[in-house]
Amino acid sequence: MSAPRRRSRRGGTVWLGLVPIFLFGVAFELLPVLMLARSSLITEHGLGLGNFGRALSPMMLAAFANSIELSLVTAALGVGLGTIVGYAIVTTRSTTVQHALTALADVTANFGGAPLAFAFIITLGSTGVVTLLLQAIGIDLYPGFRIYSVAGLSIAYVYFQLPLLILLIIPALLGLQREWREAATSLGATPTRYWLHVALPILAPSLLGSFLLLFANAFGAYATAWTLTGPDVNLVTVQIAALVRGEVQLDPALADALALLSIAIMAICVAGYQLLTGRARRRAS
Amino acid sequence: MKRGTAWRAVVIALFLLFMIVPIIATALFSVATRWDRTIWPEGLTLAWWVKVTARSAFQDTLFNSMAVALATVAVSLLLVTPTAYWVHLRVPRARPWIELLAIIPFGLPGVVLALGLIRLYSNVPLPLINTPNILVAAYVVLTLPFMYRSVMNALEAIDVKTLSEAAQSLGAVGRRTLLLIILPNIVPGVVNGSLLVFSTVFAEFTLANLLIGTRFKTFPIYLVEFTRFDARQASALAVISFLFAWVVSLAVLWLTGRGGRPREAFGAR
Repeated sequence: MSAPRRRSRRGGTVWLGLVPIFLFGVAFELLPVLMLARSSLITEHGLGLGNFGRALSPMMLAAFANSIELSLVTAALGVGLGTIVGYAIVTTRSTTVQHALTALADVTANFGGAPLAFAFIITLGSTGVVTLLLQAIGIDLYPGFRIYSVAGLSIAYVYFQLPLLILLIIPALLGLQREWREAATSLGATPTRYWLHVALPILAPSLLGSFLLLFANAFGAYATAWTLTGPDVNLVTVQIAALVRGEVQLDPALADALALLSIAIMAICVAGYQLLTGRARRRAS
Repeated sequence: MKRGTAWRAVVIALFLLFMIVPIIATALFSVATRWDRTIWPEGLTLAWWVKVTARSAFQDTLFNSMAVALATVAVSLLLVTPTAYWVHLRVPRARPWIELLAIIPFGLPGVVLALGLIRLYSNVPLPLINTPNILVAAYVVLTLPFMYRSVMNALEAIDVKTLSEAAQSLGAVGRRTLLLIILPNIVPGVVNGSLLVFSTVFAEFTLANLLIGTRFKTFPIYLVEFTRFDARQASALAVISFLFAWVVSLAVLWLTGRGGRPREAFGAR
């Protein structure tokens, strides 16, 4: 009873409490993005899509292709391997082992950037520890493989994608009820059919949502790539950063166009993730 | 049944190997005299650790990173905690807007945020660009999802309305309710969020590099510089970063139990 009256009496004044966060959000979050949107549309000849035209030059298209490929591959590896490891974790009988492995995933999902990239140089670089070890048993990684390439970068990315997926998928895996499997088995379903017709359809929204999140996670990454490969590898984030620092050429409008295209890609992923996992959550509850 | 256990052991062993080998290798490398020709380190030494930590730049960058991280936590706390409380209790209609603000950063790559801030503020006569101030502001944005979700989860976990009413019926009013009743109940969430913000900022390279770069060197920038010219000293710095991340993550886990971390956000990639 008292709530509606209070609302009408105070009217909009309760919104005043939110002025600080809105001011901050507008100043440092929304305006920068709007600024990029605006300036990406301004060309020498007034408003136009000229900057986007240049953002689709062969070099930049290659950057997008590399970034998208790297994100697709590492997100797919993360989802595929992570689901298997996650399933192994939740079906382990010892709760101590379960907790220890979840803690490991939790800690390592936070690794990334420079130290991680460097750890991979030491492990799989040309004189890396594992490289030397494999050499000793007759497997030569180099020169066929290079850690400083997109393939090498994929391995480093999987290192943070895998544990992130495990953490995202464990709740969904725990939601798979033992009874469903028993029911399927008692009705004559093989394990393959159980997975294909029961478990995977139930997991699908979580898996797809997590895939999108992992994709965005890889697409926006910069520090790991920069530490591992420097400016050699042609990724969208590396290109934007180079333009920001004016390393290549001073062409801020091009950087703005690239940034806006990246935002569009990220926004699709993030919205998809929200939609899919929101639905999964609603179904679970 | 036997077969069932075997695949699990293999999967978990491979997972452990992949996750742990790079860390162990880096740690061993940082105490090895030389390790680029033989399978095992040729000898052990603490020389690289001593050398790299003795530099004044080491202490300076460590201090800079700590200072920026603490400042970010402070600003974020002041901004987010009252907001979350207010939205939760008084203006639920504003919730979608605040959630939007807390979601955007995670669709915003670090390079893009840096670019937007530079383009927006480089010609504005405010003490922002090329100062740590802009870095703190950017970090508050970057870590907004962490802080917001941590505090909001804590608020949702307790029955704020009933607690507030109980406090009022016992004679507590307004601010006292917030300070003495609500705050103690959401402390784990607030501490959790603060730790996540702190460790994210401490490890962040992209924004630091693009927004102020060499003018105000943070620890990750120092580390990346070393990876270019002295691998052994860089490995000691990497181990320090790893240890730091471990300690904070384990503290968060210990504080919140499983699943306490807001999953939507990621920091220093």
